[in-house]
Formats: sequence, C-alpha cells, structure tokens
Amino acid sequence: MGLLSILRKLRQSPEKELRLLLLGLDNAGKTTILKIMASEDITHITPTAGFNIKSVVSEGFKLNVWDIGGQRKIRPYWKNYFENTDVLIYVVDSSDKKRLEETGIELFELLSEDKLVNVPLLVYANKQDLPNSLTSAELAEALGLHSIKDRVWQIQACTAIAGEGVRQGMEWACKSIRRNNCQSFPHYY
Amino acid sequence: MYNLWLFLASFLRSMVKWFLRRTTGLCELQRICYGEMSGAPRISAVEKSLHLSKCSQIKKLVAHLNDISDNCRLKGSTERDILKGAVNTVLVVKKINPRIHYQFVKNFSKCVEQIWGYRQLVAQVEAVRIVKYDSDNIEHEKKLLDLWQALMPCVQLDNRISKQWQDIGFQGDDPKTDFRGMGLLGLENLLFFATEYRGPAQHVLSHSLHPVYGYCFAIVGINLTSMALQFLRNGEAKIYFYNTSKCLPTIRLFHQFYCYLFYEFDRYWLECKPVDIMEFSNIKTKFENNIRTYLSKPKAAFKMNIAVDTI
Repeated sequence: MGLLSILRKLRQSPEKELRLLLLGLDNAGKTTILKIMASEDITHITPTAGFNIKSVVSEGFKLNVWDIGGQRKIRPYWKNYFENTDVLIYVVDSSDKKRLEETGIELFELLSEDKLVNVPLLVYANKQDLPNSLTSAELAEALGLHSIKDRVWQIQACTAIAGEGVRQGMEWACKSIRRNNCQSFPHYY
Repeated sequence: MYNLWLFLASFLRSMVKWFLRRTTGLCELQRICYGEMSGAPRISAVEKSLHLSKCSQIKKLVAHLNDISDNCRLKGSTERDILKGAVNTVLVVKKINPRIHYQFVKNFSKCVEQIWGYRQLVAQVEAVRIVKYDSDNIEHEKKLLDLWQALMPCVQLDNRISKQWQDIGFQGDDPKTDFRGMGLLGLENLLFFATEYRGPAQHVLSHSLHPVYGYCFAIVGINLTSMALQFLRNGEAKIYFYNTSKCLPTIRLFHQFYCYLFYEFDRYWLECKPVDIMEFSNIKTKFENNIRTYLSKPKAAFKMNIAVDTI
C-alpha cells in the first residue's frame, strides 16, 4: 500500500520508468525486500539463482526492481545490470559480522563503477530483529559510509521479514530520484 | 450474468444426472467407477462428482474426510475404517447393493484413498517444509553430511564450514542459510535424489560442473523443491500422482516427483545452451510451462529416461 502512495507523490513526471537495482551478499534479504515491495508472500523464498525482477505499475508509473543473486559466483554478473540505474539499493545482513568486511568491499567496488556514478545509494541495514545485529548507525560507521561524497546516500534500518522499514527506505529512494531528475532536467530538453 | 450461467449449468447437470440415473439405473459415482479408465480419469471424475454433490450427507462426508487428511490421520488401520465408512455412506445414500456392485465398492474405495491421500500428502509435505534448517539439530546436520557423502563419495569434507560446499552448488561456506523458505524439505529432496537415484544424481551433478553450461546444483535443487511444491499444492500434480500411486501416497512419491523434475530440468537446461546462470529465471519459467502442459494430459506419469550423455 505504501508503495502506491509514494508513486502517487511522484506523479509530476508521468509514464516514467524507474530502475532500481537491489544488490548485496547472499542471504542479506534482497528477495524478501523485493517481495515486500510487491506485497507478495515471503514464506517460500529460495536462494536466487540468476535474478528476479518485479514491476509495480500504477497510474502510468513503472517501478522496475531488479534483484540479482548475491553469491560469489554471481557477483561478476552484477555489472551487466548497472546501466540506467536510478537508485542503487544495497542490502546488508546487520547480524552477519563475519562478512562485514566482505560486504563493505563489494559495496565500495560498486561505488567506483563508472556506470553508477552519481546514482543515489540506499543501504538497508536488514535483520534488525536478530540478536547482536548492528544498528544502522553502527553499520554506517563500520562500512565507512560517511566517506561517500560523490552521491546522496541513506541508511535505513529494517526487518524485511516483518515488513518494517522497507517503506521508509523506498520513500527516500523516490525522493532522491526526484531530486536527481530536477538537477538533470536541462539535459533532457 | 455469470451467476445466471452457473445456475443454469448446475440445473442442466442435475437434469442430465436424473435422466441418466433413470435410464441406466446407476448413480453418477457408479457410472464413473464402471465407465472411466482407472487412474487419473476415474479418480478425478469421482473427486469432481463428490465435490459438486448437493446431498447433505455427501457434503458432510467430504468435510469429514478433508478434516482427517488435513490432520494426517489417514493411515494404518484407521485408514481402512475410514474408507469403509466413506463407502458405506455412499452405499446408503445412493441405495447401492454392495453384493451386486462389489466392483463399485472396490473401485470407489480406491478413488477415495487417492483423493484424500493426495490431500494428506500436501499437509505432510508442508509439515516438513516449515521445519527450518537448524545447525544445532544433530539430525539435520547428519542429513547434510549424508548429502555430501552421497554426492561426493570419494572426497572427504575438510571441515563442517568449508568452501567445498560450493562444489555441490551451495552458495557459501555453510549451507545452513541456503534452505530458506523450503526448510528441511529442500534438504530431504536433495538427499533423496542423491541416495535413491545415485547414478542419475551423479550424472546431473557432473553436468552442473560443466565449464560453460554449469549451474549451482544445490541452489537449483532448492528452487526445484519450490516448483514441485507449487505443482503439488495448486493441484496441477494431481494427475501425475493419481496415475502413479497404487496405494496411499507417501512423501516418497513427492520425492520421486521432485527427482523427475530435477533430472528433466538438467536435460532442458543443457538443451537450451544458456550463456550463463543469469538465464536461470527464464529457462525455469519455460521449463515450468512445459511441465504444466505435460501434467495436464490425462495419462501424465513420468518415467525417468536415463540416457547416456555425450556432453
């Protein structure tokens, strides 16, 4: 439901297709977040071999969300999906401290990609319900998000399996798209 | 408009049934049990007839059997009593003489067993699925290690947490997080395939390691558990189970169905010559549609075509 209202807010630029890219390590919760966005059942999720895509269409708006598998073997294919991305959404399992470094490295590699220059970044600090999970502030610190100067970014705490926090993140994502659009309007005309 | 159509259809059905009953002297269930081919055609027709029945006793019987199978109580000596009770109800309601129509009693009883056996199987499979994989549970861990042993008999696992798991297609060092929403069912499916169809499983595993057309064996397997489960739940697998099952269906039958899907998926995947694993979603959807078409044929019953392969 939340998504619809966000979309309505975005009505100023109708018939625009937005491309959101969901990345992160395996078992971070990307597919769960995707399904929550599409208001689908999340009890039968399987590991993503390849990718999933969902489009939410409303009043001429099309939000295409690409969820790409996160396992090491698939990561080399991430780059095939960078083109024309409006928002990069990076999902982190806040309780997986062992792989914190690994997820940080992957994230900063993404940020150095030419095709993702200036693309707003939303980080979901997922699995807040698990004991010993880092808070979003701790995670931002640990990942070194504050060193990002070349784009707008946001970290959002969430518990995707309970549907908590996903909507707030999407609201920010849509706002950032609008901001980006306003800045680049002259180029379109 | 649609309601009117439903009303007319139901009215017409009653008319035809009444006419046939008068002319043949047999009720609809008898006509099905004598006239339809055994297997899915007969069982599906009986199922439809029972569910459409307007007779209150039959409705009660259906609700009663639903309740029993949803709670997995259809087994052993209870099963015999329940089947007998169901047959008797129909004999009384439809005024059938069991001594003359002993063949009906036999056929009808078989149908009831399959219809509610299937429903029970759905509940049984779900009960396994909802069990989350738990690495503190010795039984779960043993099954996981058995899977390794069955797939990789010649290779020792260095450590419980090891990169070697990726050799059989898990995502990382520890498979525990890979079962996700399929829970223990994903593991049991894989283990059944690896132990009961050792040869074919090895054959499929070797394909999954192909340098160009390779894929992640275990991850694809868990995705196929999800597919098999969907077919089972939405009833699309009914024809297959009705044709294959000779007695009360058990979870083994579901595992066999899964093994068939896996074996066929592997063949289809290689046939498609995918560029990389990113084609999985597309190929899976196509494969699913092929199976769906096949399952809708009244004679659907798979046989594993184990072929010598050249790839």
